[in-house]
Amino acid sequence: MFTVYLVDDNPGVLKGLSRLLRAKGYDPRAFSSAQEFLEQHDSAVAGCAIFDLAMPGLDGLTLQQVFKAGGNQRPIIFLTGKGDIPKSVQAMKAGAIDFLTKPVNDVALLDAIARAEHDDAEARQKQAELAAIEAKIATLTPREREVLSHVVAGRLNKQIASDLGTVEKTIKVHRGRMMEKLGVRTVADLVRLAEKAGISTRINA
Amino acid sequence: MRFMRAAFGCAALLTLVVANAHATEPQRVLLVHAFGHAYSPWSDMAGSFRAELVKKSPEPIDLYEASLDTARVQNAGDEGPFVEYMRALLSGRKLDLIVPVGAPAAFFVKRHRDLLFPTTPMMIIGADRRRIPDATLTDNDTGVLLDLDLPAYVDNILRLRPKTTDVAVVVGNSPVERYWTAELRHDFQPFADRVNLQWFNDLTFGEMLKRAASMPPQFAILWVLLSEDAAGVTYSQDRALETMREKTAVPIFGLGDYEMGRGIVGGPLIQTQTLGQEAAGVALRILKGETPGKIHPPFVVFGAPIYDSRELRRWGITEARLPPGSIVQFREPTVWDQYRWQIMLAGAIMLAQTLLIAYVLFQNRKRRAAEADASEQRQEAAHLMRVSVLGELSGAIAHEVNQPLTAILSNAQAALHLLAQRSPNLAEIREAINDIVHEDNRAGDVIARLRSLLKKGEQKSEQVDLNELIKSTIGLLRSELIARHIQVETDLPSGLPVAWGDPVQLQQVLLNLFMNAMDAMASTPNALRRITISSRAVQSGTLQVSIRDRGPGIGPNSQDQLFKPFYTSKDHGLGLGLTICSTIAQSHDGKLTLANHEDGGALAVLSLPAREFLVAAQ
Repeated sequence: MFTVYLVDDNPGVLKGLSRLLRAKGYDPRAFSSAQEFLEQHDSAVAGCAIFDLAMPGLDGLTLQQVFKAGGNQRPIIFLTGKGDIPKSVQAMKAGAIDFLTKPVNDVALLDAIARAEHDDAEARQKQAELAAIEAKIATLTPREREVLSHVVAGRLNKQIASDLGTVEKTIKVHRGRMMEKLGVRTVADLVRLAEKAGISTRINA
Repeated sequence: MRFMRAAFGCAALLTLVVANAHATEPQRVLLVHAFGHAYSPWSDMAGSFRAELVKKSPEPIDLYEASLDTARVQNAGDEGPFVEYMRALLSGRKLDLIVPVGAPAAFFVKRHRDLLFPTTPMMIIGADRRRIPDATLTDNDTGVLLDLDLPAYVDNILRLRPKTTDVAVVVGNSPVERYWTAELRHDFQPFADRVNLQWFNDLTFGEMLKRAASMPPQFAILWVLLSEDAAGVTYSQDRALETMREKTAVPIFGLGDYEMGRGIVGGPLIQTQTLGQEAAGVALRILKGETPGKIHPPFVVFGAPIYDSRELRRWGITEARLPPGSIVQFREPTVWDQYRWQIMLAGAIMLAQTLLIAYVLFQNRKRRAAEADASEQRQEAAHLMRVSVLGELSGAIAHEVNQPLTAILSNAQAALHLLAQRSPNLAEIREAINDIVHEDNRAGDVIARLRSLLKKGEQKSEQVDLNELIKSTIGLLRSELIARHIQVETDLPSGLPVAWGDPVQLQQVLLNLFMNAMDAMASTPNALRRITISSRAVQSGTLQVSIRDRGPGIGPNSQDQLFKPFYTSKDHGLGLGLTICSTIAQSHDGKLTLANHEDGGALAVLSLPAREFLVAAQ
């Protein structure tokens, strides 16, 4: 079930939105302050967050910054009492799904949540892939990592052997083992994977 | 014997020496009275003459008076010794003028002139012309005489009392009176068919009084002369007339002005005053050397008819009956106549007082109107300020309404979604609807609060729970406070006595103080923005609401100006907020003070009198 974190200082609004979302099959979790949310949030749970813009203590935009700075990728939807263009621009630039005005229509809200659900799923999938790649990379020996970076940089085995002060044959062995560990057969696959993992295609050495 | 008494008793010698004695001998004038000094009308004529003469004479005058009683006694032959006495009295003194008063005196002088004062000029006064025919006067004589129109007296009676049937003529029985009785009888003959004349000359005064007292209303009395009645009793007329007046049942008419005020109604009258004045004039001419026989003084006749107002009233005679040109004397002095000045003074004082009171009332009214005006303007200004403050807060207040609307919409749509499900959760739907109702009420409250603040109205006076008012105010400002990152700390102890006043105006004060506090913290870092509001009851029954901000505090230059209209430290302020707040506090018998808090920021304290006996609901 898709979880929706609700953060609003108004209990009536929290209650109403929770009820609506529950009726639509979501799992709403209501928080009356940013602090409370930050404390109890579980990033592992699939879901999105809906922030009220004007709240005592941390307001919605600040919460967004704090939240993202904490490494959270969760999609965020904003609710606000009054349409405020500078704030909406700021929110959208910071990656918000939508910026909705109270009183919010269920269609607009559910649509935004649906998009958030999609984004979240995508993000989680990417996250999962990355995690798998990183896990594989983690199994490489330091020599194999060196060979990996040289390969994705487009060097030939001979050149790599020369760079690393060894013989071509040794490099071939490392390269074969590295490709096997990472589960790729072609250099093209290897480059794609390295890219996902954020490994630079230029050689720093 | 009678003669002796008269001679010695009445030969009074009066010497009037006018002051500033002259080198030359004074001029001597002898007045000869026929009856005595006190007998009207001669005494009145003599008195008037004497006074006028002394007044008008440029030279000092020696005035002698001698009084015979001969007019009343019948026998002139007894005069001898009196003449002797006179001669003795006047011997060695040269007389310049001899003045017999009345016909009897004139007759006496004439009889004895050759013996007593052969060359002295004589001026007869007060006698009627028919008693002294011109032929009896010599060159050395003259007379200021009366010309009595006797029928005029009866005419007068009939004019005033046309229904008169009988006229009783009061006249005595002395020689002079007998003379006049005959004259009157003669002159009154033309009235014989109009009125019946009764003659009292053969009655005693007692009988006259009795008759007068029982007369029917159509009678009248004509008082002619009473020096001696039928019984030979003499009367000084004043007293007799006054006695008659007391007894009479009908009006009394008289002959001369000397009777005025003594009981006569009035009419054409002998003018003794005029006579005296005329006579004095003639006397002075004689004393200057004119020949008496060449002076022909006019007869003294009736002047304008004179009436006694009191008698007219007594007998019911209206003044309309009086002949034209009549003079009415003795008008009862009205209160106005008697106390004219006092009344005018009192009136003036009363008028002044009235004016003063009116002025004071007017001023009072004006002041009240001004106060009402001022109060109205204050209400108006307060209202305008509320509108202005609420205008500033409109976004925040809209947000306050928006919150419940959001909750309502969500709940309603949730309910719809729930209903669309195959087996709707009715309990959940009911709760949703309950929440809708609750949120709707909240929105309604905000609107009501707003409306009351926007409403223009008279200042109300009711119980006010200050803590409630503070909470409500914070409720209105909630969104604004959040938007400005301002925290509010409250310290509102329960059990606070209630205040008394207009909740709207008091809330306006709170709103204003909050707004000031919020504006004051524009430059304060977000984390430090905090407003502390507390309420408490202090000794002597005062409630205090303190609002403290964490701004820069009040500048030293602002301290004195804070409550002055149009003073503002804000960029967009009107400068009326605190002025109006202070005015509102004062109109609630309270006050508003502003100071800097010792730990920084400004501290506003609103003090209001508490109603001890009422404790706010907890």
